[in-house]
Amino acid sequence: MKALILIALVTFGFSAQGAETYFCKKDLETMPTQQGGRVKPLYVHASEAIKALTGKSSVGDLSAVEAFCLLSLNGMGLPSAVNLEAKIEHVDAMKFFNLPKDEHNIPYETLLTREDDVRNEARSSKGTESYKKAMSKLFDNIFLYKEIKAGNNWLFANIQGKELTWVPLTTYLTEEKVVAQKTLTPMDPFLPVLLKSKADYDSAFGTKYIVEYYYAKAGLASIALLVSLVALMCLVLFKNFKIALSFATLSIVIQISLITLRVIVSGRAPITNMYETVLFSGAGALLLGLLLGHFKQEKLFVYMGLAYNVCTLMMLNFANGMLTATISPLVPVLRDNFWLSTHVTTIILSYGALALSWILANTVLIKRKLGKMDRKEVAQHEEIIYTTLKWGTTMLAAGIILGGVWADYSWGRFWGWDPKETWSLIVLTLYTAILHGRYTSWIQQGRFSTVTAAAFMSVMMAWFGVNYILASGLHSYGFSEGGAVFLGCFFLVQISILIATKDYSIETKKEAEPA
Amino acid sequence: MKKLSNIDWNKVERFLGSLKFAVVIILCFATAMIIGTFLESYYGTDFANRTVYKTTAFMLIQFGMLMSIIFAAFLRLPPKKRLYGFYTIHAGLIIVGVGSMITYIAGVDGSITLAPNEPSRQVILNKDVLKITYPEEGKQVTSDLPYTAFTTKIGDEYQGINVMEYLPFAEGKFVWTPSINKYPPEAPIHSSKYFFKNPFAEEEILLTLHPESSGEFQSTMNMGPLTFNYMPEKLSDCFEKPSASGIIIWNSDNGECFVPEEKGFPVKETSAKNRFLVFPLKDKLLTFFPDFSPYPVDSSFQTDQKSIIRTFSKRIFEQKPNLFLFGKKLAFYSKEDKKWIVQNIELKGKSVALPWMGAEISLLEHQENMVPFHLPVATIPIQKNGAIIKGDIRALRLEIMGKEYWATNYSPLSLLIGGKKVIIEVTKENLTLPFEIALSNFKMDKDPGTNNPASYESFVKLFDDGKMTDHHVYMNNPMKHSGFTFYQASYSQDSGGNYNTTLAVNVDQGRPLKYLGSLMLVFGGIWHYNLNKKKKKKETVA
Repeated sequence: MKALILIALVTFGFSAQGAETYFCKKDLETMPTQQGGRVKPLYVHASEAIKALTGKSSVGDLSAVEAFCLLSLNGMGLPSAVNLEAKIEHVDAMKFFNLPKDEHNIPYETLLTREDDVRNEARSSKGTESYKKAMSKLFDNIFLYKEIKAGNNWLFANIQGKELTWVPLTTYLTEEKVVAQKTLTPMDPFLPVLLKSKADYDSAFGTKYIVEYYYAKAGLASIALLVSLVALMCLVLFKNFKIALSFATLSIVIQISLITLRVIVSGRAPITNMYETVLFSGAGALLLGLLLGHFKQEKLFVYMGLAYNVCTLMMLNFANGMLTATISPLVPVLRDNFWLSTHVTTIILSYGALALSWILANTVLIKRKLGKMDRKEVAQHEEIIYTTLKWGTTMLAAGIILGGVWADYSWGRFWGWDPKETWSLIVLTLYTAILHGRYTSWIQQGRFSTVTAAAFMSVMMAWFGVNYILASGLHSYGFSEGGAVFLGCFFLVQISILIATKDYSIETKKEAEPA
Repeated sequence: MKKLSNIDWNKVERFLGSLKFAVVIILCFATAMIIGTFLESYYGTDFANRTVYKTTAFMLIQFGMLMSIIFAAFLRLPPKKRLYGFYTIHAGLIIVGVGSMITYIAGVDGSITLAPNEPSRQVILNKDVLKITYPEEGKQVTSDLPYTAFTTKIGDEYQGINVMEYLPFAEGKFVWTPSINKYPPEAPIHSSKYFFKNPFAEEEILLTLHPESSGEFQSTMNMGPLTFNYMPEKLSDCFEKPSASGIIIWNSDNGECFVPEEKGFPVKETSAKNRFLVFPLKDKLLTFFPDFSPYPVDSSFQTDQKSIIRTFSKRIFEQKPNLFLFGKKLAFYSKEDKKWIVQNIELKGKSVALPWMGAEISLLEHQENMVPFHLPVATIPIQKNGAIIKGDIRALRLEIMGKEYWATNYSPLSLLIGGKKVIIEVTKENLTLPFEIALSNFKMDKDPGTNNPASYESFVKLFDDGKMTDHHVYMNNPMKHSGFTFYQASYSQDSGGNYNTTLAVNVDQGRPLKYLGSLMLVFGGIWHYNLNKKKKKKETVA
C-alpha cells in the first residue's frame, strides 16, 4: 500500500496546482459498478450517492463522479480536499447540532465525531417521529460517507475465468497491477488499471448498462417540461394551435423516449414506483388528449393534455423529496411483467384520463367565476368533461378487475379489502355516482364541474394518499417521504378553489342570484 | 303476511331501481370504505374487517347495491337497442355479486405453514374458536367464538367450564396472582421486577422462578450482549465463598448450595483436560461435567435433566457479560479485579452500578410466592408498519369451580377438573386437507450485493391416494390440487435456522362467475359509454 501511495504522489504530486484530482477523471463515468442490487454506470451511482449525502448534484467545482472518486481514494491512503456537507433541515435536528437559524450545513467530518450521538437520538424513546426519522436518515448517510471514504462503496467488476465478483477499490487496485502498468504507461499507471475492469466486464457481459449513462445524462424530463410549457403557452397565451400542436407532439416523442429508455434500463414495465407512475400518467394523458382531440376534432382535449402534462413534469423535476428517479430492483410479488404492464398501466392511464377531466373542470370553475364563460360554453365544456370521465371510469373498472385477477392468481383471492384496492374501488364508486347523478336532477348543469373537480381528490388519495398517509397493506411498495405534505397542499388548494368558485354569475340576463 | 300484500310493490320496485337510490347506496358504500381504510391504517386489518368490511351492515349495503343494479335493469325492460351496453354492465355486476356470495358462503381462505420434511394437512382458517382438549380421553371439543371487535358476553357452559366473555383485542396488564398449588416454604419460587438503565435504553425487567408463570415470564433474558440470569436467593452465598474450582453444587428443590472445596469433593480432569466431579447421592453416584452441563450424565453420557442436584461453573460466565440476580442480591464477574463480586440490591433502594457501559440496575418489586401474570384488558389495537403493536391478545374469561381463569391465544390454560386433565385454548379454526403436503426445500434468492429477497420458492411434495408428486410453488406460480390452490405467501426461520414456508390455501367456487361477470362489466362499459355515443353521433349527422 505504501508503494502505491508513493507512486500516486510521484505521478500526480508535481503535475497539478491547487486541488489534486489524481486520476479521478471523466473517463470513469461509464465504468460499471454494482450497487443496490443492480449493475449501473458509476456516473449514476456517484450522482445518487452525492445527492443522498449533500442534497446537491455536485460538490463545489467537482462533479459527482470526481467527488466520489476522490473521497474513495482516502481508503487507499491518498488525502483529498473534498468537503462534503450534510444538509440539516429538521428544526429539532438543527437545535441538536446548535446550528444558527440560517445555517443548514454540517461537514461530514464533524458528523463522524458525533456518530454515536446521532444514533442514540434516532433510537431514543424521546422526540417526535419525524425528528427520529431525520436522525435515522442522517445516521444512514454518515454510514454511507464512512463506507465511501473507506473505499468500500466503489465496487469493481473482477472477472476470473468465468466467475464475476464485485470487489471494493481497496481490493481491486493492488500494488502489483499498478507497478506492472507503470512500465507501460509511466505517466498515469492508475487509470488504465481501473478501466481494465470495464473492458473485462464489457467483453464478458456486454455494454447494456451504458444506456443508463446516456439516460441519466440526457435529462429528458427537464427538456420535456420546457417543450410542454412552450406548447401550453402557444395554446393559451398566443392562441396558435398549430405551433402548440407541433410542440406537444415533440414533447410526447421525448417522453416516450424517456419511458422507453427506462424500460431498457430496468427491463420491466415503467410503472413500479411513484416517479414512474407520475411520468406515465402524464405522458399517457397527453397522448390520450392528442388522440381524442384528433378524432373528436376538439382543441380542448389538447389543452387538457398539455396542462396536466406540465403538472406531472413539474413534479418529476422539482418534487425530488417525494419522487425518486432511482431505478431499484422490484419486490418479488411484482416480478411479473405481464400483469404489471396490464393492471398498473390501465389504472395509471385511467388516473391520467380522470386528471384531464379535473383540469377542465377547474378551468370551467375559474373561468366561470371570472365571468368569461357563458351558459352554452359551460355546457359544451361539461360534455367534454363527461367524455373523459367515461373513458377514465371504464379504464379504471378494467384496471381494478385486472388487479383482482392478478391478486387471485398470485395471492389466492380476488378481493381482500387492501387499502389500495379499496381506495381504487372508492374512486370507481364515486365516479360511477357522478355518472349516474348526471341523469338525475341532483347534479344539474353547472354543478357537474364542481363535483368532478372535487372527485379528483379521491384519485389523489388512492394514488398518493394510500402510500403517504395510510401507508399500510400489501400495495405499499412505493413508500417515500414528503408525500403527505404535498397531498395536504393539494387538498387545500383544491378545496380553496371549490369554495372560491362556489358563487358565480353567468352572463345570461334572466339568471337570478343562485341561493 | 297481510301487511306485505298492502305494500305497493310497483312503488318499491321503482324506488329500488331509481337513479337516486343508486347514487345514495353508492355513496353509502364509498363512505363505509373510506372509514374502513382509515380504521385499517390506525388499528390494523383485523380490526377493520371486524368493524367494517365483514359486518352485517356492510353486507347489507352491498346487498342494497345488488338490488339497485337488478331493479335498475329490470325497470328498463323490454330491451332497447340503445341500452344493450347498460344491460351487459348490470348483468355483469349481478353475476360478480352472485359469484362473491358463493365464495363467501362456500369458499375456503386459510394458510398452512410447513416445516422442512414434516408432512402436514392442517390449514389454519380465520375464524376464532375455543378448543377444549381432554388428552387422557383423546377427546376434543371446539366452539366458535363471536366475530366481533369488542368484548362480548358469551355465557356458555361445558362440563363445568363456564365461558364468560370474549375479548378479541386485549393487552396484558401486569398483576400478581396467588399460586394455585401449594409449595414447601423453602422452595425457590420467588420473582423480582428490576429497572435496568444504560445510556441507550431503559427497561423494566421481570424475572421469575415460579413454575406457574406463563411462558412470557422467564428466569433468563437477553438484552443486546448482556444476559440476565435469575437464580434462587440462597445461591448468592456460594458465589461469595472462596473456591479455586469456581464450581457450585446446588439443590433445585430448596436452593441449598455448597462449593466442592467445603465438603472435600475433588474436581478431577479427564485425559482430554475436561473437568469432572463425582457426587454421592444416597445409593447413587452422580457424575457432572460442570463446564458443559449443569445436569449429571449417565454412563452413556446422556444428561438427566430431571435431577434436582445440579452444578454451576462460574468460569463459563466470565467471558461474556452475565448478570446474576438472586432477588435482593446480584453477582457479576469483574474483569478488572479478576473476581466475582456479590452486592446487595435494596428493594426500592438505590440503583447498583454495573461494569458495562454505565449500566445500572435497581429492584422495584420482590415477591416470595406470588405468580406474575398479564391480566387481559380489552383495548383497541394499534398497528405500525403492518404489524400489530398493541392489543394482539385474544382472551377468553372462564369460570371454573367458582374461580376465574383466562385462556389466551398466547397461553392456553391447562388444569385438572374433577381429576381429569383439561387444556383450554383460544385458537383459529382448523381445516384438515384430504391429502398431505410436505416441504422438501425452500429457496430464497437475493438481489445481487444486497440482503433484499428477490424471490422465494417452495419445493413441495404432495401425497394423495398413495401417490407422491413434486411441485414448485413460487410468487405468481401457485400449485393446484383437487379444488385447492396453494400460493407462496410468506416464510419464517425456526430457531435452528431452517426455513419454514407459509402457503395461502384457497378454494373458490365463485371464481368462474366472477371472471365472467368482470368481462361483461368491462365490455358493457366500453359498449355503453364509448361506442354508443359515436353511433348516436353518426346517426344524428346522417
